[in-house]
Amino acid sequence: MPSLDSKNLNNSVVDVQSFAMNFGRKEVIKDLSFNVKRGEIFGFLGANGAGKTTTIRTLLGLYEPTRGTLLVNGERYNPNMSANIGYLPEERGLYRNEPVINTMVYFAVLHGLSESEAQKRAIAYLKRVGLADKANERLVKLSGGQQQKIQLGVTILHEPSLMILDEPTEALDPVNRALLMDIINERQAKGATVMLVTHRMDEVEQLCDRILLLKDGSVALYGKIDEVKEQFGSQIIALNYSGKLPVNDKLYKVTKRLPHHAELVWSGNINTDEVLHFLANQHDLHITTFEVRRPSLNDIFLELYKDQEGKNV
Amino acid sequence: MSKLGNVIGFEVRRNLKKKTFWYTSLFLPVIIIAVFAITHASSNHASSSSQQQTSSYSKTAKLGVLDETGLVNKQVLLRDHIVIEPNEQAGIDGVKDRKLTAFFYYPKNVTQVGIQVFAQDQGIAFTPPYNALASQLLSQSAVATVSSATHDSEAVQILQKSPSVTATTYKNGVETNGLAGIVAPIIFYVIFSFFVVMLSYFMISATTEEKENRAAEILLTTIKSRSLIIGKILSIFVLGFVQIVIIIVPLLIGYALFHNHISLPGGVSLSHIPLDAKAIAIGASVLLLGLVMFTGILVGFGSLFPSAQEASRYLGIVILSAFIPLYAIGYVVSSPHALIVTVFTYFPLTAPSTVLLRNAVGTLSTGDALGVLAMLLVTATLSILFAVRAFNYGAMAYNRRISIKELFR
Repeated sequence: MPSLDSKNLNNSVVDVQSFAMNFGRKEVIKDLSFNVKRGEIFGFLGANGAGKTTTIRTLLGLYEPTRGTLLVNGERYNPNMSANIGYLPEERGLYRNEPVINTMVYFAVLHGLSESEAQKRAIAYLKRVGLADKANERLVKLSGGQQQKIQLGVTILHEPSLMILDEPTEALDPVNRALLMDIINERQAKGATVMLVTHRMDEVEQLCDRILLLKDGSVALYGKIDEVKEQFGSQIIALNYSGKLPVNDKLYKVTKRLPHHAELVWSGNINTDEVLHFLANQHDLHITTFEVRRPSLNDIFLELYKDQEGKNV
Repeated sequence: MSKLGNVIGFEVRRNLKKKTFWYTSLFLPVIIIAVFAITHASSNHASSSSQQQTSSYSKTAKLGVLDETGLVNKQVLLRDHIVIEPNEQAGIDGVKDRKLTAFFYYPKNVTQVGIQVFAQDQGIAFTPPYNALASQLLSQSAVATVSSATHDSEAVQILQKSPSVTATTYKNGVETNGLAGIVAPIIFYVIFSFFVVMLSYFMISATTEEKENRAAEILLTTIKSRSLIIGKILSIFVLGFVQIVIIIVPLLIGYALFHNHISLPGGVSLSHIPLDAKAIAIGASVLLLGLVMFTGILVGFGSLFPSAQEASRYLGIVILSAFIPLYAIGYVVSSPHALIVTVFTYFPLTAPSTVLLRNAVGTLSTGDALGVLAMLLVTATLSILFAVRAFNYGAMAYNRRISIKELFR
């Protein structure tokens, strides 16, 4: 596991060192160290129950750590720093019976904006996400996806320099997911740092500069996406086919098998050509496409959690 | 504006927009006005109906009288066509035989055994004024006797109508306000009771809404929990003030219009309410600290529960504790040194109501007042700290109740 780069310490917006957390006798986080650099999009990943939300809540002062230090911009977080932070929690929620605009303005003012500025930005945001006509509706009247957009608005209206987004695209359709991705990218382009928690590995690959994958309260993978992939291991062959894919343990191992799609990894002393040559000579197998590539984050994630498959992934 | 100011403004605005707030606020004054109006109308109707019935009854009834006292004026009897019966049995038989509507028997020792009335049963719907008539006959006769014997019109007036009494009382040689002195300080007790009854639900559900809506997490990263709780408590006080204004404005208008016509029991007139600075200062301080303590306890208590509905199940216990001293009102008023009064005076939950009552009736010593104020200051501060801690711990326990043990672990 790469250790924290001390040269980048001053450049760190989030700095977690030797963090451990127990709830009663249960050890949720064992020993966690990482940093999030200024201006990057950092993917904070892990299965349900891995300790992501606990780490974020402790970072934001909602829990007291059992051990270790968790700093935001070099100091322990307190609500007086909220002007620089936009937090979208895993447990979504705003005032359900309040008009949308009132809730947005209230939180924006708590984040340090003046009421008039908050009002102006809230209206502009609602226009942007297509909810201008809902400004005076009670939140409870909006659909889940619309509420999600309001929640994101509350998170970003004050233009924070650090956004901590816990599964921001959950409950959004593809169109709105794309819209939200655009908003996140825009914020990053303006210099904001993003700490992103998500289970969608495609989003991570598209957005993130670096990732940390948490497993059982410890770091399983940490670094740039390419480095992590490198770290994780060999390339794979992805095939789309018809017919029958033969078993050949000497040449390769099938890591994923669907009716017309398979992914193979091959032994270290055998090259790709030998595998493809073998497959091409199978009379009852017709290969429509193939790709030699590094494993995706999704593959890595599944591989890491293989032993827990069916339990909580 | 500070974050505290934002919380107060937001909480007050959104609660003022709630229908439930206005329902609970208007419920009490509407009930008071309705009860007053119904009582007044019913009383007027009963009085006028009684007068009509009495008048009509007096004209049509056949009455018999046996007077062994010699006090009943014969001229009055003749004037009203009342028959004089020879003996008690004859009068009773006259009623039984329906020759008489009623027979009044004034025995010799009437002051000891009273007037005996025998009468026809007129049914439950109409109760003829037998007793009043029998008594009136005797008192009119007494007045007529005094009048003819003394020719003293003042003596006659005194017999006809009791004169008003103005009492001046002294304590340690200094004139006191007597019963009228209760009026101003008892208002603090009334306000305290009103707050506890009307606003306790708002208090206990002050933070459960954030939990139920899952807004606590984002709030706690934005504002310190202490500021949030204090803001919520202050907003509850503002709402209470609004409710008091809603109730008090009609009362003040009524007072301004009718204060010369309204008298309280004991001859206390509302036209002059004495204001004792010390009693008012003690009342105001106990009220403020008592309310902060109760609000802190209820807000904190509510924070331990996942929903307002669940928390409010226990509301009755806290409200009851505030009003238990009323069950010992006799001791509180007349035996301030009784053990039960001392316990109620210094036990935090019962202290505000006990002390406010004692302060009003004048049985609270300066020493006790200072002791209780010190105790309330400490418990009010502790209750706020409890509320903050409870919210910190309970805010993210969305689906479960936090135990007190867990809170202080």
